[in-house]
Amino acid sequence: MTQKELHDQRLLKEAEAAILRMHTRRHFLKESAMGLGALAIGSLFGNCGLNSANTAKSASTSIAFDPAHPLLPKAPQFPGKAKSVIYLHMAGAPSQLELFDYKPELMKMNGQDCPPSLLAGKQFAFITGVPKMLGPQAKFAQHGESRAWISDNLPHLSTVADEISFLKAVSTDQFNHAPAQLLMHTGSARLGRPSMGSWVTYGLGTENQNLPGFVVLTSGGSFPDAGKSVWGSGFLPSVYQGVQCRSEGDPVLFIKDPDGMSRNLRKASIDAINAANQQEYEEYNDPEILSRISQYEMAYRMQITAPEVMNINDEPDYIHEMYGTKPGKACFANNVLLARKLVEKGVRYVQLFDWGWDAHGDNPNNSLNIGIVNKCRSIDKAITALLLDLKQRGLLEETLVVWGGEFGRTPMMENRNGIDAPYKGRDHHTEAFTIWMAGGGIKKGYSHGETDEIGYSSISGKVQAYDIQATILNQLGFNHEEFTYPFQGRPFRLTDVGGKVINEILA
Amino acid sequence: MLLSVADLIGRFHPILVHLPIGILLLACILNWLSGNEKYAGIKPAISLAILLGMIGAIFSCISGYFLSQSADYSEDLVWNHQWLGIITAIVSITWYYLYHNSASKPILKWSSVAIFILVTITGHLGGSLTHGEDYLTEMLSSPSKAGPVLAAMPNAPDAILYKDVINPIFEARCYSCHGANKQKGKLRLDSPAFIKRGGEDGEVVVAGKPEESELIKRLLLSLDAKKHMPPRNKSQLTEKEISLLHWWISTGMDVTKKIKEIDQPENIKPVLAALQKGTLDEKTIPVTDLPAETVKPADMAVIGQLQKAGIVVIPVARESNYLSVNFVSALSVNDSLFGLLASIKDQLAWLKMDGVPLSDAAISSLTSCTKQTRLQISNTSLNDAQLARFSKLLNLQSLNLVGTKITTKGLLQLKGLAHLKNVYVYKTGITSADWLVIKQNLKGVSIDSGNYSVPMLVGDTTLVKAPK
Repeated sequence: MTQKELHDQRLLKEAEAAILRMHTRRHFLKESAMGLGALAIGSLFGNCGLNSANTAKSASTSIAFDPAHPLLPKAPQFPGKAKSVIYLHMAGAPSQLELFDYKPELMKMNGQDCPPSLLAGKQFAFITGVPKMLGPQAKFAQHGESRAWISDNLPHLSTVADEISFLKAVSTDQFNHAPAQLLMHTGSARLGRPSMGSWVTYGLGTENQNLPGFVVLTSGGSFPDAGKSVWGSGFLPSVYQGVQCRSEGDPVLFIKDPDGMSRNLRKASIDAINAANQQEYEEYNDPEILSRISQYEMAYRMQITAPEVMNINDEPDYIHEMYGTKPGKACFANNVLLARKLVEKGVRYVQLFDWGWDAHGDNPNNSLNIGIVNKCRSIDKAITALLLDLKQRGLLEETLVVWGGEFGRTPMMENRNGIDAPYKGRDHHTEAFTIWMAGGGIKKGYSHGETDEIGYSSISGKVQAYDIQATILNQLGFNHEEFTYPFQGRPFRLTDVGGKVINEILA
Repeated sequence: MLLSVADLIGRFHPILVHLPIGILLLACILNWLSGNEKYAGIKPAISLAILLGMIGAIFSCISGYFLSQSADYSEDLVWNHQWLGIITAIVSITWYYLYHNSASKPILKWSSVAIFILVTITGHLGGSLTHGEDYLTEMLSSPSKAGPVLAAMPNAPDAILYKDVINPIFEARCYSCHGANKQKGKLRLDSPAFIKRGGEDGEVVVAGKPEESELIKRLLLSLDAKKHMPPRNKSQLTEKEISLLHWWISTGMDVTKKIKEIDQPENIKPVLAALQKGTLDEKTIPVTDLPAETVKPADMAVIGQLQKAGIVVIPVARESNYLSVNFVSALSVNDSLFGLLASIKDQLAWLKMDGVPLSDAAISSLTSCTKQTRLQISNTSLNDAQLARFSKLLNLQSLNLVGTKITTKGLLQLKGLAHLKNVYVYKTGITSADWLVIKQNLKGVSIDSGNYSVPMLVGDTTLVKAPK
């Protein structure tokens, strides 16, 4: 007997044993006991379930979840300005003081000891003792009719300043990367909550059933510190989690049928799997099984559409030049171009992470005047091109573009373990940083919020992650306070118990 | 720190008052009932009830006096409440005296009626002192409080800032707790002198320094904060009202100057414009890219047929009957499908048909949908002759013609579309030479011809290197 025959025989035996197990007397008794117990429990808790009369009212305001078609497009609570979101997250937290928050007063204090009032009672990730103040490490100028301050690190973005609303006084309460990223994207610094993209696809579905509704693209050589939880679905059905794609080669790994497997055979195997799942569903009634069936079907459709949509190579040369892509390599610019293509094809939420912005200054690659300048160069042209390209295609009107990090950087130079960093660097800072938004019904050429004269604290127009989330949901047509999901006996929402729509930046 | 004994006794007043109220009323009831033979047995209790009520009344008077000395209450109300309370105590003493000196029945009966009336009125006045005068009737007249605080002021520059603007804001938002009738935290905001005096924790405003003014700080705290003012369940100040208060404090809290005589920083100008127009309350701009009138629901069978063909048809919002239609994942497109569009023409508001093959029949159906406000017909074979028929789409606000065959001539046919705001003509036959003609004919329309480029800078291809 050959190896293969042996293997086949073993499989056959396993299958037979499984069938027998399904129908043994012991199994019957066990299932009966469990089943009766479940019945009893069910009647006891009959009034707590999602289908009880108590929740009938809330059901009318909540999302109608159809497990067999979880991604079908749905209407928002009110007509939204934006249809899609492209969120550009600079993982590691870019320095607002070298990009958008111009502080000439800080330059005057350059090299002086940090005043004790800025240190008393504060916690930093690495700063110990008394650090030195560090002036802006870039030249600033005002740009556009809106006179927005943008540094010479972003010469291209400066030309489109009049499309953008800056939030200059964002604050957070997390000074480590992972929890801060989680807070920004899931509304909680701890694991377990659904990400914003999951909420949005849960609420709105997606217009193109041949593509995922929530796509994640990463660049910079590393994943965000919070790992895949920043695009996880938390307690929402798992079909809403972000689908991580690659901008080079196959967009989704193993999307091509292996050699020797025809399209028909693939279809037949998926039909067989779905039939088995359908049987399983009829037995257990778990809606997750229906979601799984729909995911298999979507995967099958995606095999045809995804390689076509996710291939940036068929874009004309002038578009590649505009974005500054690097064909054949994995890079941020390629991801940005891909994001535009996806949004054009009806993808609801595209989340980009670009790693490498953690400017501590302990080596040249993360120093403010070497590595970070290079990071800026790697995003500047692509982001500018994205805004202009969306605009000329008439898509910026309904695509909300968000750029930001998870926190800001200190006006002080980092002195890890009390020793000044060898290169120019700044520590993590929670009290003031800049995030900007454009398109999707956001005011053009506006700046909201101010920081003090050295950029340490927010003094007006202070906003937090919850406010940004509330604003994004508002632009998509949701009142963040009424957009909930019942879990563990209470309704949950993205903004937890906070959040206020930033009306000042709405067009 | 020693809390003075008088103050302490005063604080017991709100508890003590319930004794005479309850006991004296009980005494009255016992007295009336005892006239009936059936209840003759309760007679011995009447004397004790009057005695206890009387003692309660006396202690209430004493504690009440101390309380009136320590807190700020409206003087008129306090005067009435105080003297009625004292009279109640005296009448109850008299009643007790008469009862024990076996006065005639009618006298006793009238004494009890007097006590009943006195207790009721005094009690009500006391309630008004602590809860505010409108406490009882508030619920009956609540809706009138909503609505704009300040009516449109066409001659705003000549209005007196304090009298005509600031004071009405205080009156609408603050008086109910910090006015003549009630002074929570011992704060009154109903005259400049009271505002400057502050409350029990000191000053609430610092002239010229709004950032240091407790009043502004409290207004700006988040709604969830315990110290936020006004309290969560009360009507809140709009942002523009807060900025007016901020401006008034930052310019020195003048009470006589007119608006035009006061320095106006840039940020207050739009607020003053809103004041003039009477739009201080407007928060969000309503969505305007839908037709104003309501519409009946579309035929579900038609929607079902469209959806079967892979076309996305969803309401623009949950409660709306207007529809958004997208051909992005259409399986196949034919004329009968466009015919279906015509049968939802009353509901079709937003349409996207990027890259869809167009026939003349399609254009006919498409242009019959006159409710459309947003139309994306990019990357199609649309030409000038077909575009001419779009002049029927009078509700159109946003039109995406990217990658079509239209030229300037075609575009100018849209001159009559009054609501048109955005037109996208990237990759069409429109050339920059025609720009002036287009601008002149389509005034107020933002036309985006695209063709943007992002120049290549030295920095785009080079890296900064670390010094050796």
